[in-house]
Amino acid sequence: MLALTRKIGEKIIISDNICITIVDVKGDNIRIGIEAPRDIKIYRGELYESIVAENKQSAKPVDLAQLDLLKDIKTK
Amino acid sequence: MQIQSTRFGLLEVDEDQIISFPHGLPGFQGKRDFVFLPYQNESPFAYLQAVDEPNLTFVIVEPFTFFQDYSFTLEDSVLTELGLSDENPPKIFNIVRIPEIIKEMTANLLAPIIINWQTRIAMQFILEKSPYTVRHSLFPQDSPGQEEKGGK
Repeated sequence: MLALTRKIGEKIIISDNICITIVDVKGDNIRIGIEAPRDIKIYRGELYESIVAENKQSAKPVDLAQLDLLKDIKTK
Repeated sequence: MQIQSTRFGLLEVDEDQIISFPHGLPGFQGKRDFVFLPYQNESPFAYLQAVDEPNLTFVIVEPFTFFQDYSFTLEDSVLTELGLSDENPPKIFNIVRIPEIIKEMTANLLAPIIINWQTRIAMQFILEKSPYTVRHSLFPQDSPGQEEKGGK
């Protein structure tokens, strides 16, 4: 991992079109500004990782024969 | 075209049964193409079978059968990217997690699957600042009709 030291107001440029600005630092909290093209997805790490974890759990094999519970449910 | 599936065996599918996720799904970025297989006629449930990974199958559900009040706002950038409009609204599904005790299955309402049903382009959209979690019980045992809040 590349680790850079920055001061408040300083920036990091990634690949010509993404600009990260250190907006403010208060104790443990660091406020970061991100400018990026709209098609670049930006997420808080823990939120994204919770979706990754849930997708992986949901992809676990299920015995289809056990899904009888779902048989008579119709779209409302 | 033919697709190999661990659960369903060899499938003969039409191109228009394939849903494409240009960004993949979180945790499965390399998997872009899935076959949409309805569970049964008129059922809210369906399967997404990865085209090039026989062992990767998701169970998905149309949420409004179980969660009548489910709602969220799609950003303009998502509407534009997927080519959606008032005339071509999205189809919404949520991925279902099925634990050993089947009745305890949950739906991930925090990251709905948004599909442009005309172009078959889709994405899993992660809701920011949402009251929903990744686990909402489809068959709540304690309070029938009420959705149960699960872990995040």
